[in-house]
Amino acid sequence: MKLAEESYLTDDFLRQLINVGEVDILVGLPTHNNAETIGSIVHAIQSGILRGFPRERAVIINVDGGSRDGTPELVTGASIDDARPASNLHALRTLHSISTKYASSPASEVAFRTILAAAELLRAKACVVMSPESANIEPEWLSKLLRPIYRDGFDLVTPTYRRQKLEGLLITNLLYPMTRALYGLRIREAYSQEFGFSGRLGSKFLEQNVWNDGTGETGVELRFTLAAITGRYRICQSFLGEKEHIERRAADLVPALRQTAGALFSALDPDFPVWSAVAGSEPAPSTGPDQEVLLAPARVNRKRLREMFSTGVAELQSVFQSILSPSTLAELQRIAGTGREEEFHYPAELWVRTVYEFAAAYQKSVISRDHIIQALAPLFRGRVFTFLMENRNASADDVENNIEGLCLEFERLKPYLLQMWKSRE
Amino acid sequence: MLWYKDAIIYQVHVRTFHDSNGDGIGDFQGLEEKLDYLRDLGISAIWLMPFFPSPLRDDGYDIADHNAVHSSYGTLEDFRKFLGSAHDRGIRVIIEMVLNHTSDQHLWFQESRSSQDNPRRNWYVWSDTDTRYKGTRIIFLDTETSNWAWDPISKSFYWHRFFSHQPDLNYENPAVREQMWNVMKFWLEMGVDAFRLDAVPYLVEREGTNCENLPETHAVLKELRRKLDEQFPGRMLLAEANQWPADLRPYFGDGDELHMAFHFPLMPRMFMGLKLEDRKPITEIMQQTPEIPSSCQWSLFLRNHDELTLEMVTDVERDYMYDTYAESKTMRLNLGIRRRLAPLLDNDRRRIELMNGMLMSLPGTPIVYYGDEIGMGDNINLGDRNGVRTPMQWDGGWNGGFSTAEPERLYAPVIHDPVYGYPAVNVLSQEGSEHSLLHWMQHIITVRRSTAVFGRGTIEFLYPANHRILAYVRRLGNEAVLVVNNLSSTAQAVELDLRSYKGNILIEMFGKNMFPRVGDLPYLLTVGPYQFYWFRLRRI
Repeated sequence: MKLAEESYLTDDFLRQLINVGEVDILVGLPTHNNAETIGSIVHAIQSGILRGFPRERAVIINVDGGSRDGTPELVTGASIDDARPASNLHALRTLHSISTKYASSPASEVAFRTILAAAELLRAKACVVMSPESANIEPEWLSKLLRPIYRDGFDLVTPTYRRQKLEGLLITNLLYPMTRALYGLRIREAYSQEFGFSGRLGSKFLEQNVWNDGTGETGVELRFTLAAITGRYRICQSFLGEKEHIERRAADLVPALRQTAGALFSALDPDFPVWSAVAGSEPAPSTGPDQEVLLAPARVNRKRLREMFSTGVAELQSVFQSILSPSTLAELQRIAGTGREEEFHYPAELWVRTVYEFAAAYQKSVISRDHIIQALAPLFRGRVFTFLMENRNASADDVENNIEGLCLEFERLKPYLLQMWKSRE
Repeated sequence: MLWYKDAIIYQVHVRTFHDSNGDGIGDFQGLEEKLDYLRDLGISAIWLMPFFPSPLRDDGYDIADHNAVHSSYGTLEDFRKFLGSAHDRGIRVIIEMVLNHTSDQHLWFQESRSSQDNPRRNWYVWSDTDTRYKGTRIIFLDTETSNWAWDPISKSFYWHRFFSHQPDLNYENPAVREQMWNVMKFWLEMGVDAFRLDAVPYLVEREGTNCENLPETHAVLKELRRKLDEQFPGRMLLAEANQWPADLRPYFGDGDELHMAFHFPLMPRMFMGLKLEDRKPITEIMQQTPEIPSSCQWSLFLRNHDELTLEMVTDVERDYMYDTYAESKTMRLNLGIRRRLAPLLDNDRRRIELMNGMLMSLPGTPIVYYGDEIGMGDNINLGDRNGVRTPMQWDGGWNGGFSTAEPERLYAPVIHDPVYGYPAVNVLSQEGSEHSLLHWMQHIITVRRSTAVFGRGTIEFLYPANHRILAYVRRLGNEAVLVVNNLSSTAQAVELDLRSYKGNILIEMFGKNMFPRVGDLPYLLTVGPYQFYWFRLRRI
């Protein structure tokens, strides 16, 4: 069976892995047309390895989703070995950078599975996945994500960042509070593009059914975090500092919801024995602050957010009728009919009930699961509008307090979700 | 004339090898009695450490009389007899020539310090202050704080690059240069084949420099070489200069300075490569090694009488070497590790063989340190570098067969720990065991000497993607040998690009078995943990 599972690795990639041999540190780097930034990212990764782990056997593994801009060649060309011209980085030993292409289009779950398989074959002790879309990766990030695993015996290290107060709204308004309430552990970035993990956690996750049952098709990184929690692996958070993203388009919301809310909802069924037994939440061990908030003014088209909410509530009424309870839907319709901006208010309690009802509907598959996720988008925009209004003049502490309040609301209403879940059983 | 290129050199101190008169100290008669052992081992030259009269405060490198033999080791006549016996067995003899300094007990220094007007006053480097040559590093950091020492007799400072009891000779003085040539001539006329020139970079001092590798020093060496070639053709000079390869290159001149020089930076990198399981340290230093004149040769070694020197590595590399090869601080000395080969390699036979395999197949003339051919251990409880200079272990009997003296009278205690002690590790028992390290060493030396390609051939490194494999081709004329070393503790698969040898079959040189013919595809080999292959490439 094992050999059959490994067949998704190409012969060429296997040959490269044989040449690399056993490693202590593995850096996974999924890419797709990142030629503009990949050079500096690889350099930062190499610097991080050489500074933090100069004696360890390390490899950078690029898993590319069909780049046409020469990204893989840039990665492999950065190997530090004895057959190339001297690098400006002095390495005690060979530092391989290898690459494999898995498809003609990117898919993070395939990339991650390939990284996990490579980690298992190379018997990597500590692994880290780095994002090619982080515009400011610092060499220190490697140590911050790997050291707790390599030196202190943790199995998963998730990052925390210094964020603008209105950045990462999907995380602060849905993912963080809901995972915290359900799984009982306060992990700020349960879904992240940068994280470290132990070889044993990677191997365990590789064996899971998530790859075969279709649930791992999106948001596999979140499923990985949840697997670490439910498997009682040692988890901590590490503060990385400010993170600059490559610009995203607004239309990315639905895919983002699929990867976060969709993945979370998918996990609830198999994880029910775990989350149903959890009450309250505990902080995760952290190095550095859990979160830092910056107060730069945000440019958001609030009018458009409100319009999309109202239009969505009106156009998707039939869909919402199969997802939401009549009282929740009625309340949403009342908000959608609000005329003035100042009067528009999507309160935390209603938002939590909305999300929980979506989760329950997702579990029952009342309609197509993807349609359920798509239907959440306009409601999320409405919630974002309220969050922006509540926090537009707030201090960093106020923002944090508001997020904490939402989290507590998710925890308080958790019995409501349990009640729906059990009634559906 | 180029005998040194094909040589296998055995380094030994006469004091450590065999005691013929039962006084607890090895001597020339004892060494002569063991020449058949060395012949059977297969070596072709002996390098003797200093055997001259000396207060022995630096193991004989503090010479008090250049033209005599220390009474503990015998007489000049004993040396002559030993030299003749060695030559009778086809073994050449290399002796030490400490050019840079003498003992402070040497007659020359005694006269020099006696008065400012003494004719030998300027044979050493004197100064009224200790502030000259400020840019010069101190070599023995553990014991010395300055390169100047105060002489209370002549009330001035004298210059010393090593211990303060070893004043440097003044090579600005033509009389010194002439006298040192006379010393060399004394031994050359007796029949000595070569000199190992100690500490050659430091002969001349110049203000504003680091007083190493100066052009004036090269001029002194060239003058000695010219006289040697004129009067004693076929003799050889081997330089001890612990320098980077690029800095060593000038010592070869245009083939008109020194015949050989130790490749110091390679040795620690062989150990480093083995521990890292990565060929990078080795190939990188070889890439930095310049071409040398065709009449010249590198001298390679794994261990010697000194500490495993870590001067020619980076700080990061040195820390790594300390942590992996000398965990205990007592194993460290100056900038190095005072341990023998077998303990450094955890007495792992496979690693000992691999390291010797590289020693014998990389470009240069290999030097085997006495006792390493049987896997002798060390005694880190002895001070300075004496832990690697203990008596040779000949058998499991009294004092390991080294001496009939009372054990308390031995110049140093014989190793007697359970793993490396003479009952467990000795020549006699290994001679009786077909698979002993001693027999293996005899075998590899025989194979090495079966072809001139190792001593004289070129080297072309292959760079297989598997970095745990160190592979190279040695070539001389139509002869080619492929060497494949697995630096890893696990079995490895490797694909070698041998397209330029397409059509050749591989013949493994130890067992003489054939391997498949080289074709268009990468040549696939599997190599066991720490295993190595030498293949003769034959087009048949």
